[in-house]
Amino acid sequence: MVDLVQYLVGGLTAGTLYGLVALGIVLLYRSSRVLNFAHGDLATLAAFVGFTVLLRRQPPTPFPIGPQTGWWSFLPAMAGALLAGALAGAAFYFLIIRPVKEATLLGRIVVTLGLALAINGLVVLVWGADTKVFPFPLSDVRVYRLGGVVISQLSLGLTTAGLLLVALLYLLVQRTRVGLAMRAVAQDLTAAQALGIPSRRIFALTWGLAGMLAAAAGILAAPVTLLTPFMMLDPFLKGFAAAVLGGMDSLPGAVLGGWLLGLAESLFAGYISFKFKTTLAFLIIILTLMLRPEGLLGREYRRRV
Amino acid sequence: MQRDLRERYEQDLALVRGAAAWLALAAALIGLAVFPWYAPSYLVFTAILVSVNAIVALGLNLLTGYTGQISLGHAGFVAIGAYTSGLLMSKLGVTWWLAWPAAGIVAAAFGFLVGLPALRLTGPYLVIATLGFGIAVHQVLTNWEALSGGRMGLPVPQVTFGPAGLTAEQRLYYLAVGGAVLLTWVAFNLTRSHVGRAFVAIRDSDIAAEVVGVNLTRYKTLAFAVSAFYAGIAGALFGQALRHIEPQSFTLVESIFYFAMIVIGGLASIPGALIGAVVLTVLPQQLTLLREWVPLIFGSAIILMMVVEPKGLYGRWLRVKLYFRTWPL
Amino acid sequence: MSRVRLLGTALLLVGLLLPVSLTAQERGISPTEIVIGSTLPLSGPAAYWGTGVGGGIDAFLRSVNDAGGVHGRKFRVVLRDDSYLPPRAVLNARELVERDGVFAIVGMIGTANAFAARDYIAESKTLWISPTTNDIFAGWRNRKYLFVTYPSYLNEGRILTQYAADKLGTKKIAVFYQNDEYGLGLLRGVKYGLSAAKGVKLVGQASYEVTDADVSAQAVKLRGSGADTVFIAATPGQGALIVREMAKLGWRPTLLATFTLGDPIMFVLAGEAWNDVYSTAYFPLPGLGDSKVDQMLATLIRYNAGLARSPYNALAGVTFIEPLVEALRRAGPDVTKDKIVTALESLRNWNGEVSRAVTFGPDRHQGLNRIHIVKSSGGKYVKITDWITYPTQY
Repeated sequence: MVDLVQYLVGGLTAGTLYGLVALGIVLLYRSSRVLNFAHGDLATLAAFVGFTVLLRRQPPTPFPIGPQTGWWSFLPAMAGALLAGALAGAAFYFLIIRPVKEATLLGRIVVTLGLALAINGLVVLVWGADTKVFPFPLSDVRVYRLGGVVISQLSLGLTTAGLLLVALLYLLVQRTRVGLAMRAVAQDLTAAQALGIPSRRIFALTWGLAGMLAAAAGILAAPVTLLTPFMMLDPFLKGFAAAVLGGMDSLPGAVLGGWLLGLAESLFAGYISFKFKTTLAFLIIILTLMLRPEGLLGREYRRRV
Repeated sequence: MQRDLRERYEQDLALVRGAAAWLALAAALIGLAVFPWYAPSYLVFTAILVSVNAIVALGLNLLTGYTGQISLGHAGFVAIGAYTSGLLMSKLGVTWWLAWPAAGIVAAAFGFLVGLPALRLTGPYLVIATLGFGIAVHQVLTNWEALSGGRMGLPVPQVTFGPAGLTAEQRLYYLAVGGAVLLTWVAFNLTRSHVGRAFVAIRDSDIAAEVVGVNLTRYKTLAFAVSAFYAGIAGALFGQALRHIEPQSFTLVESIFYFAMIVIGGLASIPGALIGAVVLTVLPQQLTLLREWVPLIFGSAIILMMVVEPKGLYGRWLRVKLYFRTWPL
Repeated sequence: MSRVRLLGTALLLVGLLLPVSLTAQERGISPTEIVIGSTLPLSGPAAYWGTGVGGGIDAFLRSVNDAGGVHGRKFRVVLRDDSYLPPRAVLNARELVERDGVFAIVGMIGTANAFAARDYIAESKTLWISPTTNDIFAGWRNRKYLFVTYPSYLNEGRILTQYAADKLGTKKIAVFYQNDEYGLGLLRGVKYGLSAAKGVKLVGQASYEVTDADVSAQAVKLRGSGADTVFIAATPGQGALIVREMAKLGWRPTLLATFTLGDPIMFVLAGEAWNDVYSTAYFPLPGLGDSKVDQMLATLIRYNAGLARSPYNALAGVTFIEPLVEALRRAGPDVTKDKIVTALESLRNWNGEVSRAVTFGPDRHQGLNRIHIVKSSGGKYVKITDWITYPTQY
């Protein structure tokens, strides 16, 4: 029983990360109809930028375990990383997505793939391919116990931060004018433009926001998975799957998809087999899609011929 | 100056028009035939790899370019072909000219199975389903050691065919390039037939196609099956080229690679698929000396190509031709 | 213009790209230079090994060049990136031989890559020094030009397991392993060791994929198996992760780790959780008082500052190439492949700057057959046993 809850806890923690990645992907797909395969590498880039800022403010402690940095040096670094993510997202939009507008969906996918490759190469060139520790103001080994179940301070902090971000995003999209404008542009671009909504600015904002979400995902992933240029490879794929599971035009669907995926994976890995856990995850998704092709919370569109 | 006016339907359908075109075709075929005698053996090997990729690209193009069904899991079909032929040849001693078509057929069967869920899915949902298929194949092959030899891989016995005096590379070159030429011809004919027209109709508007009488189920699954067949044959050739197959050669990275080949070369065009295969096989190899700079340069090259010409390299070529044809307007 | 002409042109362009380089007498040897080549993962997830090993080889050969070279010849290094993919590795091997005209191929990381390329390299009669694998050569017959200075995973697993059974009171062992030929080779070694150790059982095993970022489920499973010892057959990233997960669960079994985790980066990645871990080493680790190794590391870093981030891999690179340099010295100014083969086979218990006790012979091309056990304490490794030899396989 203890093990079961432990697996559930692990699954939820991982699921929050997947949900965060999924949110960024869904946000972009809803507004620009682009499947951004560079999302994971964007997260990596932002995490490395944050890492550099952090190291500049404080040299790394030798043989660290436990909190490796204080909040006063961590928060500016995190802000730096989020800013880098937002700027990079907006830059993608202006320099690459806009000029390629006439391309088909497939063409745009390939552009983002090229981008992913290029950013990855850049990260390896600038920061090297070795694994680094991402200092975090929460401890990795101070744990809280409930019954026999263990959760580390770090995991708790990360999950909370993830949930907080989701809540903030929800408020932004549903309760502000900017969010309203974003939703309008996503629903019908021409109509929104006719109503006087500055669509170019909204697009730039959306991409910047998605970039920031990616950066947040990167920062939340890095302390746990250790900082390498390839750390987001797996989380990105799972986040993408979670986004599809939840429905590509539904933000709450992305979060739900993330949790479900994380839980299913963890339970399967623990009780049945480690080796096939990714396969299972995708199998579940495919089965769900066969029963409900628009995703769990997606809306069914009626297409005109 | 428009030189090639068509007056009759057969002329429009014809693959090779005019004396000049026939001469060019003959020259190209002769060039391909004598290539292995003059080129160093590593280039012959490169040509074999190019042929393998070209066959996959042709198949994927039929599925994605002509029928509009995105597949990011094609490496799975290639893997199925490679392992089928590898197992048939090494464990059951089947000869290559039976094993390779068998590999294609087994892959086509899987293609049909994957095509079934594809009937209900579109866009990103189909992408995920095919992605999942590719990953599932990879994981099964990695972990089911009795079947595939797991991570230690499966050795493939050497093929003997043709007269003595040819090196192994040259033999395989003729098989690979010959296969590629044959399958290109088949693809050309397929796209000109009613099947090809059905595919394009599905891509442009599947609901309208169904209204007009195109049986979606039959043609969508056919598209998947045919493209999987191509991938299977390519897989068998690939296994023979390396003589050792292991699951790591058939991951998501490879699927993305094949996908990029057809998009960069030009979707829905057979020369485009071939160009894409050539460029994306040769270019990274030329860059291997640049070591850590490779991903950055390669990625930037891809972006540049798509920004400059969203219709792919073949689209750019057509525009150039058009410019000269309508000059001096 | 016909479409098929396009294809023909494209292929011809391929053929016209860069001519094959010509060499004098023997391929890769000219009166002024010796060409050495390698295909390594310089990009992709395995880039850490490729850049470290490749950087080490390159820096070492540059230092030899600056000291005058060998018999008046300087080394030229050609490194090609294979991203850890077997087809690229095979193609690189072909290009190294036919296009770059190398005299010898050094290293190659990845058992699958070596397996795919070995037949071609043997057919081309190119000297192949130290790919990072042993098991695939044990039954192979084309070993005339192959010389390996890399420890055997099978035997390392066995030796560590037996040590734990004899000296550390291990009764139940579990294995955490990478799900590829590397991890599986070590798992086989552990089972091999258990077959000789009485009263010790394998109670659990948990695998992970190279791309896995989360190993918490594996840690729970290992704890649930009731093992008192865990053998970590992993690479630094996941090795650190599993140790941290175990620390989180508050579970601290005896820890054994394969020699790739003898990399000092483990102290950075796993911190205090990496104390009292038993591992092995096949060359003296830096910072432990062996002045030759420390000096070599300082030299390598002088030539390439980036190597400070992967000192262990850089030194490993040196152990791969050193024996060849020594053989070139022994063979004298008149160099042919067969003379080098004889020179290499004449090495007996030879100590280089970093390598120790390299021995080859006419029927022995596996140059290393001893390791010693180290233990991590206080942020560095301490040698706790003497050299332990194991039987050679070829």
